[in-house]
Amino acid sequence: MSDLFPVLGATQAIVPLGTPQTPPLAINKPVKVEVDGIPVEADSRDNLIEAARRVGVAIPYFCYHPRLSIAGQCRMCLVETSASGGRLVPGCQVRVAEGLKIITTSPAVKENQRGCMEFHLINHPVDCAICDQSGECKLQDYYMEYDHEASRIRTSKLNKPKRVELGPLVVYDGERCIMCTRCVRFMDEVAQEPQLAVVNRGDHSLISTFPGMELDSKYSGNTVDICPVGALLNRDFRFTSRVWYLNKSPAICTGCSNGCNIYVESRGNVAYRELPRRNEEVNQVWMCDEGRLTHHAVNDARLEWARSGRGEGGLIEGPQEAVKKAAALLRPLVGYPGLAVFVSAQCTTEEAAGAFLLGKEMGAHRAFIGALPDGGSDEFLIRADKNPNRKGVHLAAKAFGYQLEPATTLETDMSVKALFAMRIDSLPVSVLERLEVAVVLAQNDGPVAQAAHVALPCASAYEQDGTFVNYYGRLQRMYRSVVADRGDAVPGWVWARRILNAMGFAHELRDAAQAFALLADRAGELSGITFQSIPDEGQILPGMLPPEWPARAPRPPASAPPANNPPSPASAGKEAAGGSR
Amino acid sequence: MIESSRSAQESALDAEHDPLAVETELPSSLMTINLGPSHPAMHGTVRLTVTLDGETIVNAIPEIGYLHRGFAKSSENSTWHQVLPYTDRLNYVSPILNNVGYILAVEKLCGVKDPPRSQFLRVAAGEISRICDHLTCVAAIGLELGAFTVFLYAVEARELLWDRIAELTGARVTTSWTRIGGIANDSPPGWDDKVRECLPRVMELTEEVDKLLTRNRIFVDRTRGIGILSQEDALDWGFTGPCLRATGVNYDVRKAHPYLVYDQMDFEVPLGTRGDTFDRYLVRIEEIRQSHRIVLQALDKMPPGPVIIDDWRYALPPKKDVYSSIEGVMAHFKIIMEGIKVPKGEAYAYSEGANGELGFHVVSNGQGKPYRVHVRAPGFSILSALPALIKGHMLADLIPIFDSINMIGGEVEQ
Repeated sequence: MSDLFPVLGATQAIVPLGTPQTPPLAINKPVKVEVDGIPVEADSRDNLIEAARRVGVAIPYFCYHPRLSIAGQCRMCLVETSASGGRLVPGCQVRVAEGLKIITTSPAVKENQRGCMEFHLINHPVDCAICDQSGECKLQDYYMEYDHEASRIRTSKLNKPKRVELGPLVVYDGERCIMCTRCVRFMDEVAQEPQLAVVNRGDHSLISTFPGMELDSKYSGNTVDICPVGALLNRDFRFTSRVWYLNKSPAICTGCSNGCNIYVESRGNVAYRELPRRNEEVNQVWMCDEGRLTHHAVNDARLEWARSGRGEGGLIEGPQEAVKKAAALLRPLVGYPGLAVFVSAQCTTEEAAGAFLLGKEMGAHRAFIGALPDGGSDEFLIRADKNPNRKGVHLAAKAFGYQLEPATTLETDMSVKALFAMRIDSLPVSVLERLEVAVVLAQNDGPVAQAAHVALPCASAYEQDGTFVNYYGRLQRMYRSVVADRGDAVPGWVWARRILNAMGFAHELRDAAQAFALLADRAGELSGITFQSIPDEGQILPGMLPPEWPARAPRPPASAPPANNPPSPASAGKEAAGGSR
Repeated sequence: MIESSRSAQESALDAEHDPLAVETELPSSLMTINLGPSHPAMHGTVRLTVTLDGETIVNAIPEIGYLHRGFAKSSENSTWHQVLPYTDRLNYVSPILNNVGYILAVEKLCGVKDPPRSQFLRVAAGEISRICDHLTCVAAIGLELGAFTVFLYAVEARELLWDRIAELTGARVTTSWTRIGGIANDSPPGWDDKVRECLPRVMELTEEVDKLLTRNRIFVDRTRGIGILSQEDALDWGFTGPCLRATGVNYDVRKAHPYLVYDQMDFEVPLGTRGDTFDRYLVRIEEIRQSHRIVLQALDKMPPGPVIIDDWRYALPPKKDVYSSIEGVMAHFKIIMEGIKVPKGEAYAYSEGANGELGFHVVSNGQGKPYRVHVRAPGFSILSALPALIKGHMLADLIPIFDSINMIGGEVEQ
């Protein structure tokens, strides 16, 4: 009966289609070991946990994390080996050796696991009902798996600080903390901003920042992800939803041009949080705090209904009427030299293709690119360019023969009299107000959308299929992660097709794949690539790799790492991305 | 039958050619009528497409599905315990027997056994359910043959028992009473005495029904020799339960493969001799008496003690622990939110339902929900044999035959 049946979890998140499957770990130097009698070919650098994982034997652990140093704090992973002489050894710390026999099922191991759980729970508060971690908590999982007995402790539980705001994104509950120190090690080793430490001793230990300082690292959200219990929680997400109600779906972060692979978790048309998704060559298993807030633009101040007419006089008459009006405005302008196309670097490649197709058909000669202004950057995951798809938009422009001009040109160049805008980032209101015809696609409502003659609601990137090209030319798939639509919102290329059709240009563009094919036919970089052929982990387009890399940024193996960056250990990354386990 | 109808048609044609003929048969052809799905005698919502030659039944094809709920598929999307309410609705006249049957299969897979008190309670409540089921069947036969008094007596007895079931489980029919490793709750204080108090009245009413029907000329004429099925045919059709025993085959799961504490119970298995409607009725009346014996024995022998195992992997922790200890709240959370993790594998467990062998085949992939649940409903194979039972009889016999096989839409149509 071993593996007769596909494993579908009860409330466990079902990994959606298109999720990168964890590749089998490369074996540099094979070592033959035995796990519970099953022969395993492991890598010489594997510890016992990773070796056992190769054959699906789970050794439980709290403090171990494949990408962090070994702490040996939690004692949950103790197992017996043929070399331990009857003693238990930590599976996280001990490495495999040729012929080693690992025993994970002996009574001593089982008793240790049960005892560990009992100790870990001595001072744990009865908080499941009010704890955000419920449903994705290692204490809950392991308790049912390895303990499932009542506590024998009759003393009262220790009281500790319960809501310490460690920083802008993270709140700490001392009572729930099991002192695994994953967060401390993460800040030291990965974020390389040692802002957390263990203070006090024994059962009075606490995780704390240094006096007067706060956990303000741009990567503080990752401590919440790797916290195996509910001690560190995301203040942005806290108390907004129970995790088992959320749909977990793969996407690419829209926060900057790094293109971190993420999961967007949503319910209905509301996105609740972003979690990192593993991609060794882009973001490993991490993401920055800014990316974790990208759902707010999806949820708040949306332009929901297609609208025609400027300012207060805007009419909401349904998408068909709006398209008719847009077509009526644009049709007389075919071949008119004052017509231009505007595309934001926030667009998916397909939306850009739709906009340029419309421009080409109408004979527009000029195209402008808008973008969110540059922001802070660092040497790890945060890029200064806060637009996820600048490269993709440029690629699309080149394919359609457009030379992109910056949006600022519009402010001074009065020759542009009519504009079709695919998203409105950095498009000044003043420009829109002076235009004679402005057909605008916008995700969020505001003065710019209100200044348009026709404003059409555009689905957010998390709500549509498509592709992004990140800062080093990696073509990655976006998925329709947030299921339900808002109002009339559809992807931008759908509006482009509707307007084209209404003006009498026959274009099919049934789905994002066709919109992508439009581009693949024209752009040399995309030749031979179809929407469906893009691998889950993305693919690198030729000729775009930068000459200089940010020092610690993950990158494709072909580009040699700088000397000060040691290669990641072979065991790294088996950790399921984006979760505490 | 078909032959004779043809000849009747031919003679009718002949008669047309001879306008002077006086002694001709009436022109006739086969007639098809629909009985049900919403006919008062079609218990539940089954439809019978009956082909008649005059008043003689040439064929009767049962069509089921009007009460199909998708039991098996629904179960795959529910936790193991969430399946229990669906089992209530299988044979809804004796829901506890279904609860027990399902849970026995799951327990077999988990390798757990409920505590003795739970076993005795399951037997007692199960046999009370069986009495209810048989009373209902007998009541219906009586009612539909014009004996309304029988119906009222039997239903009064059934009400007395359903009140006891309600005291025990909180519901008359939607009991959902069993749990993996035990039962939802112990019997309330004084429940045993109440059962002992009401049983004599139940038996008094049953004897009254027996007196009203068993030697009643009309009843005997309408049922004896009607709807006969031989032992071989019954076995071939997959009969179990009272309908099989009416043909004289001695097979009762409680005796043949004792489960729970049936091996400690002293009871007889009544057998018929002819396998007709009358025997099916008689077997049920006698089984009520035997079940009565079992209930009393179970109550007498019932030991004190817990009614559910103390293993938090399977049984919910006591409320005290859920509210005041992290271990309790975690176990509760995991069991409720993700379901009990039943070990990988498959199991078939069978018990004696009111209509025969009630089997549950459950498959687990180790998760909190069943991978597959199949129920072997005894009524299904019995209903399949309805055409064989009914052919050649008069239309008026259809109702008592159909009554006596006790087709329950809930379990047959699932």
